[in-house]
Amino acid sequence: MVDVEKLKEIARETVSRDDVKYLIGWRQGTYGFRTAPHFVGTPEEADNLIFSPLCSHNLATYLTLVEKLPVPRGQDPDSRKVALLVKGCDSRAVVQQLIEQGIGRDSVFVIGCPCRGVVDLKKVEAKFPGMREKVSATWGNGTIIFNLPNGNVEVPRQEVLAGKCLTCRYPNPLLSDLNFGEEVAVWGSDDYADVKNLEAGSPQERWSFWEEKFASCMRCYSCRNVCPMCYCEDCVLDRLNPQWVMRSVNTAENTAFHLARAFHLAGRCIECGECERVCPVDIPIMKLNRKLSKEVREKYAFEPGLDPESKPLQASYRPDDKEDFIL
Amino acid sequence: MNNKPKIGVYVCHCGINIAKTVDVEAVTEFASRLPNVKVVRNYAYMCSDPGQLLIREDIEKEGLNRVVVASCSPRMHENTFRKTLAAAGLNPYYLEMANIREQCSWVHEDRDEATAKAKKLVYAAVVKARLLEPLYEKEVDVEPASLVIGGGIAGIQAALDIANAGFKVYLVEKTPSVGGRMSQLDKTFPTLDCSACILTPKMVDVANHPNIELLAYSRVEEISGYVGNFAVKVRKRARYVDVDKCTGCGICAQECRLAGRIPSEFDMNMGKRAAVYLPFPQAVPAKYTIDPERCLFLTRGKCGKSPKCADACASGAINFEQQDEIVEFKVGTVIVATGFDTFDPARKPEYGYSDYANVLTGLELERLVSASGPTGGAVVLGEGENAFVPKDIAFIKCVGSRDKSVGNEYCSRVCCMYTAKLAHLVQEKVPGANVRVYYMDVRAFGKGFEEFYDRVRREGIRYIRGNPSEIFKRGDKLVIKVEDTLAATPLEDEVDMVVLAVGLEPRKDAREIIDILRLSQSADRFYLEAHPKLAPVDTATDGVFLAGCAQGPKDIPDTVAQAKGAASSALVLLSSGKVKIQAQISFVNENTCRGCGYCVEICPYGAIDLVAVNRMGNPVQVARVNEALCKGCGACAAACFSGSVQQKSFMDRQILPQIAVLGVMK
Repeated sequence: MVDVEKLKEIARETVSRDDVKYLIGWRQGTYGFRTAPHFVGTPEEADNLIFSPLCSHNLATYLTLVEKLPVPRGQDPDSRKVALLVKGCDSRAVVQQLIEQGIGRDSVFVIGCPCRGVVDLKKVEAKFPGMREKVSATWGNGTIIFNLPNGNVEVPRQEVLAGKCLTCRYPNPLLSDLNFGEEVAVWGSDDYADVKNLEAGSPQERWSFWEEKFASCMRCYSCRNVCPMCYCEDCVLDRLNPQWVMRSVNTAENTAFHLARAFHLAGRCIECGECERVCPVDIPIMKLNRKLSKEVREKYAFEPGLDPESKPLQASYRPDDKEDFIL
Repeated sequence: MNNKPKIGVYVCHCGINIAKTVDVEAVTEFASRLPNVKVVRNYAYMCSDPGQLLIREDIEKEGLNRVVVASCSPRMHENTFRKTLAAAGLNPYYLEMANIREQCSWVHEDRDEATAKAKKLVYAAVVKARLLEPLYEKEVDVEPASLVIGGGIAGIQAALDIANAGFKVYLVEKTPSVGGRMSQLDKTFPTLDCSACILTPKMVDVANHPNIELLAYSRVEEISGYVGNFAVKVRKRARYVDVDKCTGCGICAQECRLAGRIPSEFDMNMGKRAAVYLPFPQAVPAKYTIDPERCLFLTRGKCGKSPKCADACASGAINFEQQDEIVEFKVGTVIVATGFDTFDPARKPEYGYSDYANVLTGLELERLVSASGPTGGAVVLGEGENAFVPKDIAFIKCVGSRDKSVGNEYCSRVCCMYTAKLAHLVQEKVPGANVRVYYMDVRAFGKGFEEFYDRVRREGIRYIRGNPSEIFKRGDKLVIKVEDTLAATPLEDEVDMVVLAVGLEPRKDAREIIDILRLSQSADRFYLEAHPKLAPVDTATDGVFLAGCAQGPKDIPDTVAQAKGAASSALVLLSSGKVKIQAQISFVNENTCRGCGYCVEICPYGAIDLVAVNRMGNPVQVARVNEALCKGCGACAAACFSGSVQQKSFMDRQILPQIAVLGVMK
C-alpha cells in the first residue's frame, strides 16, 4: 500500500537539504478527481503531497519548463537541485533529458515511485459524472478504489486506467536517487495494436481519419507545452523567418504542425501520453507518436529513455542498420 | 552600396545536352519576367570563355549583384562560375546554380514537361539568389611536417618522398622495425626479383634521412585539430633496450635463456626467436627489443640469478626500468598506410588449417621458400625424424576472398599472382614436384601478369577449375575433395601439402585509426577514399590521405604508386603553406541553441563541440562549430530541433522560399 505519510517524511527531509531548491510532486486538485502539480519549497508544504492513481501528470516537464531568469550581476545562479517525484514512465523522460543533456545529472534529485497505473480522467468522469467534491483514490487488488462522498467504490483497473498504463512495460522508475514504495510487477505488454489497427486502413481512410482530427485542432499548443521532450527555449515552429507553420488555424497548417512535432519526437518520445491527456479536443496524438515509436523499434531495435549512458537514436548509427525502406 | 538584388540569369544549352529536351528560349523569356531579374541570356556553352565573358561584362556594365546560372550540376562548374564572379569583382558566393541538365534534360523525354520543370528550377534559383549573402574564405597556416602511420612499403615510400621534398616526416610503426609485409616476402611477381633486395635500401634511407624521425615500436594514440594543424600524441613503447647504446650485435639474443624457444612473428610462427630479438636481420632500426610478454625477468621478475642478456651486453644497453614514452608534435598532413592482415583460414574449417600441420597459408609458404626463412629456403615440412619434402602440392585460391560466407565479397587482387609465383618457386625448389592449382577464375590483369601466368603453366603447373569442398586426412596424405568444373568430374586428390591462397583483410585493429581520425570504411571494411575515381588517396577529412592496402587490396607497384600519390597530395598542402577553409560552413545561434548535442553526435568530422557559456547569468552549454573542421555537409543543420544550427548559403530562410516556389508553381 502507498504510505503517503512516509512520502511526506521523505519530502520534508529532501527539501530540508541544503542542495535542494524545491521538490515537485502531486497534490489534490480543486474539485472532483483532479490532481495538480505541487511545488514543495518548505517542509510544511509537504503536508499536501499525495501519490495515488489520480497522479497522472508527468512532472519531468517542469525540469526544463522552468524559466531561467536573468541573474543580477555579482550574484551566483542558484545551482541547487530540483527534487522530483517520478513514476516509471516519467523516469524515462528524465533519462531521455539526461541523454540529450537537457538537464545535468547533478541538477536533479529523483525520487522514484513505482506505480500500478494511473487513471484516464475522461474515463473516470464518464463513470462518475458531475462530481464536484474532492475525491481521493487508492490502488486495490487489481482495482482502483475511489473514496466518493457517499462511500468507497471499487472499480476494476482495466475500466479506468489510462491507455498508456494498459500497455505499460516500465511501471518501476528506471532511474532514481531514492525509492519510495515497493517495486511493482510488470503487468503490461505492448504489441502496438492501436497503431496496427490504424495502419490496416487504406491511405484514404487514414487520411480522412487524421484530416478530421487535425481539423478540430485549435492550436492551443498544450501538447507541445506539456511535453517533457519539447524543451527548446525558442521553438522552431514559433519562428517568423522562416515561418515553417503559418499562424492561421486550418487543416493544412494544423497538419503541418502535428507532423513536424511527431518527427521532432521520433526516437525521443517516451510515451508518457501527456500530449493526448491535455488535448482539449481529444486528438489521438499518441497514435502518431506511437506509429513512429513502432517504426523506430522495428527498424533499429531502439527505445528512447532507457539508459542515461546511451546515445540518441540519430547518433547511434550502425553499419548493419536496416535500410530496406530507403528508395 | 545599394544591395537591392539585380539578378542576371544565364541559361546554358550545353550544346544539345540541355537544348534538345528543354526549350531554352522559352526558359529565357520566362526568366525575364521574374522579380529582380535585370538580364537574361542563353548561350551554347556558358562554361566556355565567351560564355563566362558574357557574365563578366554584364556584372561590370549592368551592375548585377547576383548571378543565376541554369546549366549542369554545381558539382561540375560551380567553381568555374564562382571564379567568373570573383574576376568581375563580385563576391563568388552571390552565385546560384539551377541544375537543368542532370536533374532535368537528361532524365526527361517530354520537351514540354522538361521545359516547364526547367522554368521552375530557374524560378527557385532566382528566389534563392535574392537571399544570398556574401561569404569569405578563410586561410589557415599549414604546419610544415607530416605524419605517416605505418612503416610498410607504402609508408616508407610516402615518408621518403615528403622528406626528399624538404619537409619533416614522423614515421610511426607499431612493430619494432619498418619493412612491413613486403619484408616477409621472398620474391615478387611477376618479375621474380628479391623482395628484400629492393626493399632494404629504402629502409636504410628511412633510417638515415635527416628529415625523417622514425618512431618504431610506437602507436598513435590521439590526433586532434584539423588540416594544417594536427596535434599528434604517440606512445613510444618501452623496448627495455637503450637504443642509443644498443649496437645491434645480437649477443643478448644468443645468451637469452629463451633463445630459440619463442615463435617468431616475422616467420609466421614457424621459426623461433629469443625473448630479446631483432625481428629479422635487416631490421631498421637495427636495435633489439625485449618482448615484455615473454621475457622471464619482465613477466616473473626473475631470470636465473641475473638476466643473461644484461650480463652479456657490453654496452650496458639493457634497461628493465624503461617506461613507455609519450611523444607529442604538430603536423600539417597525415598519411594512413597501415596495411592489411591476411585472412585467417580457421574461419573456413573445411580446409582443415587448424587441424592439419601440412595445410599452410601463402604467407607461411613465403617464409618457407625464403632464404632468410626458418628452413633457409628449403621446402621441408615437419621436424626432426618426421621431416620430409612434399612432392604433391596443391594450391587453393580465393580463400577468404570473393566469398560472401565469410563476409568478404571483394577480390584480394594479389592471390592469383602470388599463387603463380609460389607455385613456380616450389616447383623450382622441389625437383619432380607435382604442383596443381585449384581456382575459380584467374585474374591476371596487371603488367606482365598474363605472361607470367602463361609461363608457369608451361612449366607444368596444372590449373584445375574447381572450388574444393573439403580437405581430410587419409594415411599420411591430405585428400582434397573437389569437382573439376570444366570436366564436370568429381575428384579426390591426394597431396602432401596444401597451400591456401588467403586473401587480404583490413587490420584487426583498423578501428583504432578510424576512431582517432574519424575515417570512414567502405562496404569491404577497408578505409574509404573521398572519391573512388577522382580522389582515390584523399579521405573525407582534409589533410588526411590513404596509401597502400589500408585503402583496399593491391600489389606492390600499385601500393608504391598510391604512396607517391598520397605524398604528392600532402606536399601540395605542405609546400603552399596555407590552406583555404570552406566558406559554406555551419554556424550556431547560441541564443536559441538548447545544447542537446545532437549535432555533436551526428557531425562526421568532429567539427562541433559543446561549450559552456553564460546566458544572462545562467550557465548553459551550447554547440560551437570549429570552422576549420567543418566541411559544410549540413548534417548538423538537419538534426537541429530548434533551427539554431544553420549552414551558410543553405539557411532555412534561403531554402524554404525556394521550396515554396516549387510547390506553388504548376
